[in-house]
Amino acid sequence: MSVRMTVALTGAILLGIAAPTMADDIVWARDGDIDSLDPHRATSTLSRQVWYQIYDSLLEFNDAGEPVPNLAESWEVADDGTEVTFTLAEGIVCHDGSPFNADDVVWTAERALGEDNPSLTKASWGPITSVDKVDDLTVSFKFSKPFGAFVPFMADQFTSMLCDTNADADGFGVSSALGTGPWKFASWTKGSEIVLGKNADYVNRGRPVDNDGAPFADRLVVRTMPEAQTRVAGLRTGELNVIAPPIQEVKSLQEDEAVDVHVATGTGQNMFLQFAVNRPPFDDARARRAVSHAIDKDMAIQVVYGDLVERQYCPISRGVFGNDPEFCKQYDQDYDPEQAQALLSELGYGPDNPMEVTLATWTGDSRERMLQMIQNQLSQVGIQANIEVMDIGTLNARDTQENNREEGPGYMDLMGWTWFDPDLLYLLWHSPGAYEGFHTPELDAILEEMRSTVEPEARKEVVQQAFKILLEEAGQVPIYTPGWAWLYAVSADTPGFKIGPFNRAQFAAMQP
Amino acid sequence: MDRYLLQRSLAALLTIWITTIAVSMLIHLVPGDPVQIMYAQSQGTTPEELEEVRQRLGLNEPLVVQYVQYMGRVLQGNLGTTIRGEQPVLELLLERLPNTLALAGAALLIACVIGLVSGFIAAYKRGSWLDTSLMTTAILGVSMPHFWLGLILLFFFAVRLQWFPVAGNGIENLVLPAVTLGVTNAAIIARLTRSSMIDVFDQDFIRTARAKGLPKAMVLYGHALRAGLVPIVTMIGLQFTYMMGGAIVVENVFGWNGVGRMAIQAIFQRDYPLIQGFILMFACIVVTVSLLMDVIYAWLDPRIRY
Repeated sequence: MSVRMTVALTGAILLGIAAPTMADDIVWARDGDIDSLDPHRATSTLSRQVWYQIYDSLLEFNDAGEPVPNLAESWEVADDGTEVTFTLAEGIVCHDGSPFNADDVVWTAERALGEDNPSLTKASWGPITSVDKVDDLTVSFKFSKPFGAFVPFMADQFTSMLCDTNADADGFGVSSALGTGPWKFASWTKGSEIVLGKNADYVNRGRPVDNDGAPFADRLVVRTMPEAQTRVAGLRTGELNVIAPPIQEVKSLQEDEAVDVHVATGTGQNMFLQFAVNRPPFDDARARRAVSHAIDKDMAIQVVYGDLVERQYCPISRGVFGNDPEFCKQYDQDYDPEQAQALLSELGYGPDNPMEVTLATWTGDSRERMLQMIQNQLSQVGIQANIEVMDIGTLNARDTQENNREEGPGYMDLMGWTWFDPDLLYLLWHSPGAYEGFHTPELDAILEEMRSTVEPEARKEVVQQAFKILLEEAGQVPIYTPGWAWLYAVSADTPGFKIGPFNRAQFAAMQP
Repeated sequence: MDRYLLQRSLAALLTIWITTIAVSMLIHLVPGDPVQIMYAQSQGTTPEELEEVRQRLGLNEPLVVQYVQYMGRVLQGNLGTTIRGEQPVLELLLERLPNTLALAGAALLIACVIGLVSGFIAAYKRGSWLDTSLMTTAILGVSMPHFWLGLILLFFFAVRLQWFPVAGNGIENLVLPAVTLGVTNAAIIARLTRSSMIDVFDQDFIRTARAKGLPKAMVLYGHALRAGLVPIVTMIGLQFTYMMGGAIVVENVFGWNGVGRMAIQAIFQRDYPLIQGFILMFACIVVTVSLLMDVIYAWLDPRIRY
């Protein structure tokens, strides 16, 4: 290759390079990219975190994790629970200057629920029969039966409100995204960076952040930097303001005065063990209980994560409606290796005939170390666990496959799910279930009742009935929370960063 | 020459054709149901939707039909859309290709300057301490993983000295990744240059040139270098394709937005259309560069004929 050709090629890329970041920018670096700017086309945490900057939802979660007004200044649930009516705040403006009103809400909902290419989370919207505009500022959602999880779902990023002018824009979800949030979409270079500009007209109606108006910074640049050490290097040189740090660096970053480490709590994330229940040994609850008794969960968490995570007792995470550690402790399995051995011997396992199982999880966030701890503890009671670590997509598919296999060694995995509502239990454990795994007719009935119970006290009671079955049967063995993408290292020079409930990064009050 | 060119071109086309077969069958190498695995991260994808995807990708058809359909699409420039985000694969690849070419090009420039100069000096000073130390350094260079060298350069020049930014896509961001990639490949060029030049120095025509009393510089640059460069030129062409491969790792370390980095993400996300497109594009580049090198070699050295 000639020098001239090299110079020409270098010149060619100069034409396509992103503009350099400026002094009034906030630069946030993460390990991966979003899948889409369209909240109906992806489910990853990385995508949700960015949607949250561009779009608002009808409701928001306050610091306690409860739904509060946002785009909707109020809402009303009909007595029979089959209709929910929202009244929108006045004067909301979309990023393109068009007014945001009931038409936009109807457009968003119909797009999510339509027959043609509906939202990936369509099922979570509930049994909706119609979405109607009552007047410019009033929208009503009608249901075939009451659906208790609907109101909090209206505060989720999956129900981000889109402006109906997106229909006229080319490339919605890729090169265009019109919402009403604090940041306006400017550009997305796939695999590299997303540039968002300040929405100068923004009025904060419900976000739990100390800024009622437009963000202080001019731009929020979200960079994809897969190499963790490079992110740390960028934070130390001041090139980056907020990064997702590698766990092994957290301690040294915490000791660094130039860096503030934020640990998200109340993320809704739950890390738990689940089993392939359609074949021995884990078709027998005693085998599952033996595993749970054999693991000293507190010790394992302490060794691997220190105080970066919390012990989780319930099948849904702390901060989520219905979570009650004291209730759950009555039914879960304490660390009791002798009890584990007794259960194993009842099942015919012993020193001469050890139980052999596969123990899987997905890559990252020191989960492999967690499995090594569990493997070691299981070996103390005579369970031989072989560790397998794979990417999350493969793990999801593998779990379903293992539940459909009738032969082979026992299989269990350390899995993680996040949701803001106990309706997650329906998705996971109502037959057939997300992985076609643990379910019982009794649990199915309880979960159906949970879905159609709206009154909070009654709903909590039903949710706890479901907890009791899941914990006693050890269908789901909760271990810790959070589990992924919950750590943020922020340059001390750019204060004002905050993590809202359910791991929502807030940049509006950051001083660039 | 024409016959030689025709033969080489046919061989190149054959290679690309075999690659298309391998690429179109790639999806069947996944154990289990590929569609289920591809969509495993999309909660709430119904069996009907999965079946629709199977139909769309033609996975229910016999393998031969699948291949014909695949080639039909490829020949029309349609490499499909990504699973994550549903974007056109060809567009994504072409958007990033200039970045990877720029990185590989800049690295090649660095590799050539360092490799040729040090190889030439080592050959000229054969057996001296300079030769030994240059070649020892070259062995170190060949043995250094890109990943490791990249991080070392990053911490020294970006974090400590703050001469360069850590990551990004500006021209100033090109320096460290290009050096990382260039230095390790310079070592290979240096070793080859040395042995090629030593061969040439021992040739009769060099002795004759010296005996004629030509100035030393004229012997070295006018006679020896020209002859010695012939095999090196071909090697440099191949180095370019190696660097395209090496760029995959280096792009990740420095956050350089090239095709290699996108390929890594696609592999982790099991985005098969994107992986297929990447392999096909990469194969075309390697085959084209190799063909070009064959042609240049034949042009430089008229003895090469079939």
